[in-house]
Amino acid sequence: MEALLLDLALGAYLIGTIAAGAALVRPDERAARLAVLALAAGFLLGFAIVLVRSLELGVLAVSTGAEQTALFAWLLVGVYLVAQVRGRLVVLGALIGPIGFAGTLAALASAGRAAAVPDLLRSPWLPVHVTLAVAGDAAFALAGLVSAIYLWQEHQLKAHASRRALARLPSLETLDRMSFRLLLWGFLTLTLSVLAGLLWAELTHGRLLNWEPRTIWTMIVWLVYALLLHARLTVGWGGRRAARLTIAGFGVLALSLIGVNLLAPGSHTGAYG
Amino acid sequence: MSGAGARGRVETLRPRRREGELVVVGLSHHSAPVELRERVAVAPEHVGAAALRLRAALQAHELVLVSTCNRLEVVAMTEAGDPLEAFAAELTRHHELPRAGLEGHLYLHHGRGALRHLFRVASSLDSMILGEPQILGQIKEQYRQAAAVSAASGGLKRCFERAFRVAKRVRTETGVGQLGVSMAAAAVDLASRIFDDLGDKTVMLIGAGEMAELAARHFRTAGARGLIFVNRSFDRAVELARGFGGTPVPLERIEPYLPMADVVVSSVGGAGWILGPSHFNEALRQRRRRPMFLIDLGVPRNFDPALNDIEGIYLYDVDDLDRVAEEHRERRASEARRAESIIEEEVKRYWSHLRDDEVRPTIVALRDKAEEIRRVELERALRSLPAASDAERAVLEAMSAAIVNKLLHGPLVALKELAREEAAAVEEAAEMVRRMFALEESPPASAARDEDEGAES
Repeated sequence: MEALLLDLALGAYLIGTIAAGAALVRPDERAARLAVLALAAGFLLGFAIVLVRSLELGVLAVSTGAEQTALFAWLLVGVYLVAQVRGRLVVLGALIGPIGFAGTLAALASAGRAAAVPDLLRSPWLPVHVTLAVAGDAAFALAGLVSAIYLWQEHQLKAHASRRALARLPSLETLDRMSFRLLLWGFLTLTLSVLAGLLWAELTHGRLLNWEPRTIWTMIVWLVYALLLHARLTVGWGGRRAARLTIAGFGVLALSLIGVNLLAPGSHTGAYG
Repeated sequence: MSGAGARGRVETLRPRRREGELVVVGLSHHSAPVELRERVAVAPEHVGAAALRLRAALQAHELVLVSTCNRLEVVAMTEAGDPLEAFAAELTRHHELPRAGLEGHLYLHHGRGALRHLFRVASSLDSMILGEPQILGQIKEQYRQAAAVSAASGGLKRCFERAFRVAKRVRTETGVGQLGVSMAAAAVDLASRIFDDLGDKTVMLIGAGEMAELAARHFRTAGARGLIFVNRSFDRAVELARGFGGTPVPLERIEPYLPMADVVVSSVGGAGWILGPSHFNEALRQRRRRPMFLIDLGVPRNFDPALNDIEGIYLYDVDDLDRVAEEHRERRASEARRAESIIEEEVKRYWSHLRDDEVRPTIVALRDKAEEIRRVELERALRSLPAASDAERAVLEAMSAAIVNKLLHGPLVALKELAREEAAAVEEAAEMVRRMFALEESPPASAARDEDEGAES
């Protein structure tokens, strides 16, 4: 069952990527529509895979690194699908498709793992914490991508460059607003995730914070995005500067995810116990 | 078409009136100068009457008159021997033109060529401005009028409905209608790359010449909310503002109004007048760095080029816009080539469908007749063989079917091939088959079924 779903999801992402690429090269409504449909199918299949695996395990299957990677990719696709309702984001679809594909591959690599789940992970707060954290990461990642497209479009407009063979990008205004909304949602989700994590630590370990590298990094990330949102909301920063900072913010986040997992093992790297 | 004598015999064999041949005859901006087009133009309220006149003149069973600023043509199912001559005569008579006046300005398309022409016109590939979207609506309206007086009911109706579908396909699958090719259209297009929706945007127009008016019209059409007209002569600004429903501002009072402007189009002639970065400091501060789109149509230029270096300001001058418009034209041309191949594909598909329709009644009649004979003869044979076993009956059955099928295979394939090759001979070939096999005029499909049932009971 799961193997079939994985194959279907891989196919959906492949089709979505190709269709979005085709719609990017030359305007074609049908290709653009097919891309969105295929990515939506990929998202639903990813959702189904998590569900099937979770039912087998008896807990939400989001505790290993591979599962979190897959969840990240699928949620990214999900957030994209919501975002593209408002603006034509075919370009983004061509970038998101491969990410969904890679995430599904990660799920494929981790398929059929032993069903032994330590009691520590059976707390309901852990999956909530992890899912929210991954959803927040996905929103921040998409905000970064949207900001990159903003900078590209902005650069082209300044340089009076034509759009040549590229399909229509959304307007600067749309991209700016979309990036802001994604930041807002990402920040909200991250905050809730931190609260759930604190609760879990308090309930299982008896203390709120354990001061391991990932915890500290998360605080830094939270602070970076808090400052960015503050600048946008009260100082009125927008446009190019905000786009660059959004990308930088995601850089810090990516560093904390990759760096900490590789260099500083702890309870956040999947090595629980 | 063969001689009158041959047709006379055909008519006696086939009492049902034929639909005639699909033709397009008319004139357009490709074939006729504007002096002629305006003389024969038909006002919208007279389209119905004109269509009736032309229908009579062309002896058309069905006819739709397509009349726009740039074309006057009829799409008809007609048996007129020379539709072009009939059309020219009617036009000459009604508009009191010298006969030579139309010479060389009319075109005539038959059959497949007429179908292709109709598809291309509906898809706006034959328009003066390639891909302009109005033409489809105009044709739909004129087709509706014709359908209302049942001047387009049978074959023509199907052709037009197919043409509308093809036009829709061209629009969704190619970008032929998407890019504006004039400078003003290019400016609107650029604005839509910066702003999400012009509906809450204000456009300021500096200068009151033709350029300003054209730009105002384009931005208004694109949905711009507010228009501010700035001019050295305040009277002229007021005049424009009244015409468009905007706000007039004298040139020396421009600065307080700059913060409101999302788009500024300047087209002031004469040297020595320029807006520089210092004029925009206050505007940018008040706008909290929301972007501004500046379009400089003045020669010499009205804006300091250094403005483009300021964050949030996008400055395009005449040359930039012209380049964008030129690129749009190139893009359009390449999209048009894709559209043409869609048209070709659709014409091929629909034409062979239509041609199959031509021979289908004959084929059906021939098959029915053969089957009828086979059944009668088989029954007779079986009656004289009362002792035949089931196996023997089956052999006889199979043999009779094989004889019929093999005998008919040749004529049927030949008829279908003739239809596909659009040979003019197909009609005569069909007639020949009917006469050789003494086929009745094939009734419509429903009647044929009734007959079969009657025979069985």
